[in-house]
Amino acid sequence: MSDFLKKTSVAMAMSSAILSAGAQAHFLLVYTPKVMLEKPAEIPLKLVFGHPMENGHTMDMEQPEQFFVKFKDKQIDLLNTLKPVTWKGAHNDAKAYETSYKVKRNGDYIFVAVPAPYYEKGEDIYIQQITKSYVNKGAMPTGWNEPLGLATEIVPLNKPYQNYVGGTFTGKLLSDGKPAAGIECEIEYINTKVDLKGNAFGKENLGDVPGSAVVSITDDNGMFTFGIPKAGTWGFACLGSGPVSEHKGKELSQDAVLWIDATELK
Amino acid sequence: MQNLIQKLIALTAVILTAASAYAHTPLCSCYDNGDGTVLCEGGFSDGSSASGVKILVMDASGNTILEGAMSEDSEFEFDKPQGDYKVVFDAGPGHEVEIDGSDIVE
Repeated sequence: MSDFLKKTSVAMAMSSAILSAGAQAHFLLVYTPKVMLEKPAEIPLKLVFGHPMENGHTMDMEQPEQFFVKFKDKQIDLLNTLKPVTWKGAHNDAKAYETSYKVKRNGDYIFVAVPAPYYEKGEDIYIQQITKSYVNKGAMPTGWNEPLGLATEIVPLNKPYQNYVGGTFTGKLLSDGKPAAGIECEIEYINTKVDLKGNAFGKENLGDVPGSAVVSITDDNGMFTFGIPKAGTWGFACLGSGPVSEHKGKELSQDAVLWIDATELK
Repeated sequence: MQNLIQKLIALTAVILTAASAYAHTPLCSCYDNGDGTVLCEGGFSDGSSASGVKILVMDASGNTILEGAMSEDSEFEFDKPQGDYKVVFDAGPGHEVEIDGSDIVE
């Protein structure tokens, strides 16, 4: 019996290893170009499901399940403001979404997208990336380091909108509000220019694509740290950390995604 | 020479204040509500409240038109003055934020 259990767990470990190797590099973007605002502004927001480091294939999105912004203790539903758009990836066109939001008062604005599970044919699994992006107005911090109570989420321990090249970023991964240990988090940046008017990624990459996925494994407290080597919009995708593991009879990888901004300190 | 001494004293005061009490900076933003009133909100860079902090509204010649304090919610609302004006968020020496009326828009 114990032998059977061992074999089963080895088989399960192997299959999950294979799955996560195949699942690498999907990132849901909740993108806006300027994340630290001094004055009130109407900011554009783009929801695109792609492979930002490779600037590779862009995937079709269905109508997201949720899209909202958390500001102080208010949660403002933005789902009905989303408009479907055709996003021009470097290699293909895909369905994506856009909206805009008027930022006025000082504080932290946390944009959250819960997409519909995406069926990844190549792996015969569903992927659902619960994604957070941050914007600050007026330099006033109002809760960027607080969890939102999502199924799974990365809680930042450095301001997500203000990171510097050569510095580090630390995040704490939660699943159902509890630290999630031993989870692989993939790390990428948007390795091309984003054309906001044209709803397109550039054809050219900004830099080299690393030879294998850049990853960090969460420790016993669900924490990971990453040294930021280059300015840009960096994303962290912690794979399969969410509590839901099945969708329509197939495996679901419910991931936590967080975007941060890094600049050179001149 | 006297001018230089004054500058040095002022500078020393700034350094002392900054080094002693505050590891945070004051923050203040104002908005034209579009209905003849202006709303200001304040705070500190560590997220703490500006409740009770003094706020001044001055005319173009630097005369104080209005003096008040930030509310419990770190806000201060006032009738928009005729002509040029500025708002001073006064959280103590070295901790003032001055906002020109022309920068206060809807």
